[in-house]
Amino acid sequence: MTTKMIVACIDGSELGHSVVEHAIWLAQSSQSTLMFLHTIEHSHQSEHVHREGNLTPNMKEQLLDELSDEERLQSKKRLSEGKVILDDAKQQAEQAGLTAVSTKQRHGTLPEALADLEAEASLVVLGAKGEDHQGEKQGLGSQLEAAIRAIHTPVFIVKTNFTQPKKMMLAYNGSPTSVKALKFIAEGNVISEAVDIHVVAVKADIEEAKNLIDEASMTFSKSDRVISTRALQGEVLETLTSYQQENEIDVTTMGAFSHGKLHGFFFGSFTTRMLLESATSFLLIR
Amino acid sequence: MLLSAKQDWLGNIRGDILAGIVVAIALVPEAIAFSIIAGVDPKIGLYASFAIAVIIAITGGRAGMISAATAATALLMVTLVKDYGLQYLLAATVLAGVFQIIAGYLNLHKFMSFISKSVMTGFLNALAILIFMAQVPELMNVTWHMYALTAAGLGIIYLFPYVPVVGKILPSPLVNIIALTALVYYMGIDVRSIGDMGALPDTLPVFLWPDVPFNMETLWIVMPYSISIAVVGLLESLLTANVIDELTDTESDKKRECKGQGLANIGSGLIGGMAGCAMIGQSIINVKSGGRGRLSAMTAGVVLLILVVFLSDLLKIVPMAALVAVMIMVSIGTFNWASIKELKTNPTSASVVMVATVIIIHRFNYAKCRGTYLCKII
Repeated sequence: MTTKMIVACIDGSELGHSVVEHAIWLAQSSQSTLMFLHTIEHSHQSEHVHREGNLTPNMKEQLLDELSDEERLQSKKRLSEGKVILDDAKQQAEQAGLTAVSTKQRHGTLPEALADLEAEASLVVLGAKGEDHQGEKQGLGSQLEAAIRAIHTPVFIVKTNFTQPKKMMLAYNGSPTSVKALKFIAEGNVISEAVDIHVVAVKADIEEAKNLIDEASMTFSKSDRVISTRALQGEVLETLTSYQQENEIDVTTMGAFSHGKLHGFFFGSFTTRMLLESATSFLLIR
Repeated sequence: MLLSAKQDWLGNIRGDILAGIVVAIALVPEAIAFSIIAGVDPKIGLYASFAIAVIIAITGGRAGMISAATAATALLMVTLVKDYGLQYLLAATVLAGVFQIIAGYLNLHKFMSFISKSVMTGFLNALAILIFMAQVPELMNVTWHMYALTAAGLGIIYLFPYVPVVGKILPSPLVNIIALTALVYYMGIDVRSIGDMGALPDTLPVFLWPDVPFNMETLWIVMPYSISIAVVGLLESLLTANVIDELTDTESDKKRECKGQGLANIGSGLIGGMAGCAMIGQSIINVKSGGRGRLSAMTAGVVLLILVVFLSDLLKIVPMAALVAVMIMVSIGTFNWASIKELKTNPTSASVVMVATVIIIHRFNYAKCRGTYLCKII
């Protein structure tokens, strides 16, 4: 069996620490190696702008020098900041008893970096929002969807500060990605045995929901995992979020972005809405 | 794709809008001056700049690039306007747009890589010289006032940015225009003003089909002009796209740019504007002013229209000297000064090609983009 590797993407945001702790927890329960990843992005947006609006000789060359100097200085700064963050995370992981911990720093966007690591990674841990969106009360980072869509590995999305997860909800609707999610939990040994798993199916017709639950139970009967199941009737998003609240769910697992981007643009993505409406962390399976 | 579209439009709202305003202010005198070069009323260039800037914001392949009425295309139209009049120019503009769309579908942008850097440099240097030469008639047989005002205008354009604080906020070409207009107005100096050069826009543009007979004869008159406009327009646009790619360290969609330029010219021709293309100088100004997204070109076009429609009475009294100063600045900014220094260090063949391109474009009165032919031979 190949060794499994968890890739945790960290930056200097508030959620960064929580991502580190979640990643350590996941690496412990799944006995995986752990890699902390930090990317240095270039915003291509200059902070020093001149609005004098006149054309001067050799303007292009001057501007090019100016912009590249600025980028170099910024990169240097981010490079050293990132190293500190990575070293701290590594130290924390080693203190928690993990031995196979590595760090990686690279230039470029997060989706690019993840796409390159896809072959090695078995699970990716991400914060729901990064440094650029820290002040914002609600919402998700601008790169989150692009990052998730860039890879086909499961993604763990951290939305809150770390507390040991106790209850996980698995939203099952029979779609190919949710079947994958089911198998991932039943066979993957990624989630610690200490976590209660609630498999929930919501349909407008209760009979359909019950059928789905039977299917799900079949899958789990092969593994030695104990689960509780629940068939519910109602509007999917509302029912799932209220179930999360009533049962104090810590992590929601579901299939993600099964539709293309075009569908999401016109109809709104269900996954994005779930991510927005819920307070739990997420394990998304593609 | 849709995510990146959103990023292109809304990724840099504040920077784009502010840069768009700076560009709009700089576009007004240029559009007027290029109309004068082409021999049409200033409103033709202003409507064109509005239409092209707005359409290319949506259809272009290079976010942050500014397109409008340009000297490169204006210089090609001179004889058409002189011999046949405005309506034929509008027809030629629409047809040039059609050719550019076809060029886009035929992937002709890929041939850009065959054009050597020396030819490109020669092309720009020739353009700079032609823009400068186009200003000379304005400076012939005039009183000393004109020279003094033009010199003052140039002084303001290049020195005002050194004024602390305001120098970096107010576009100096605008300061030049306001200062010279105020001076001429209050001192009652008798010099030519923009109002003397033809009609300025006083209404929003309306959709018009070019008033030409639809027959083969018209097509044969218009076609040579359309082809040269299409070729030169694409050449300058793709060249500018490369410059912006380099400056912002991002990529652009050249095929989409070709088709976008075509649509923009068709749109321009149909609202009574002349043909245009991407502007190197304005695009660099845009990037320098913090513009990166499509919103900057859109803002530039819309603000330009608002400025000219509502301020046309004020624009009329702007002295030509202020405009000539702006155009000399454009000429100085377009010329590649480093290329003179490089004449010593570059291989002789490259230098010969560069200088030959300049001379050929001049000799043939810029009739066609001979530079590209020359390059193919070499």
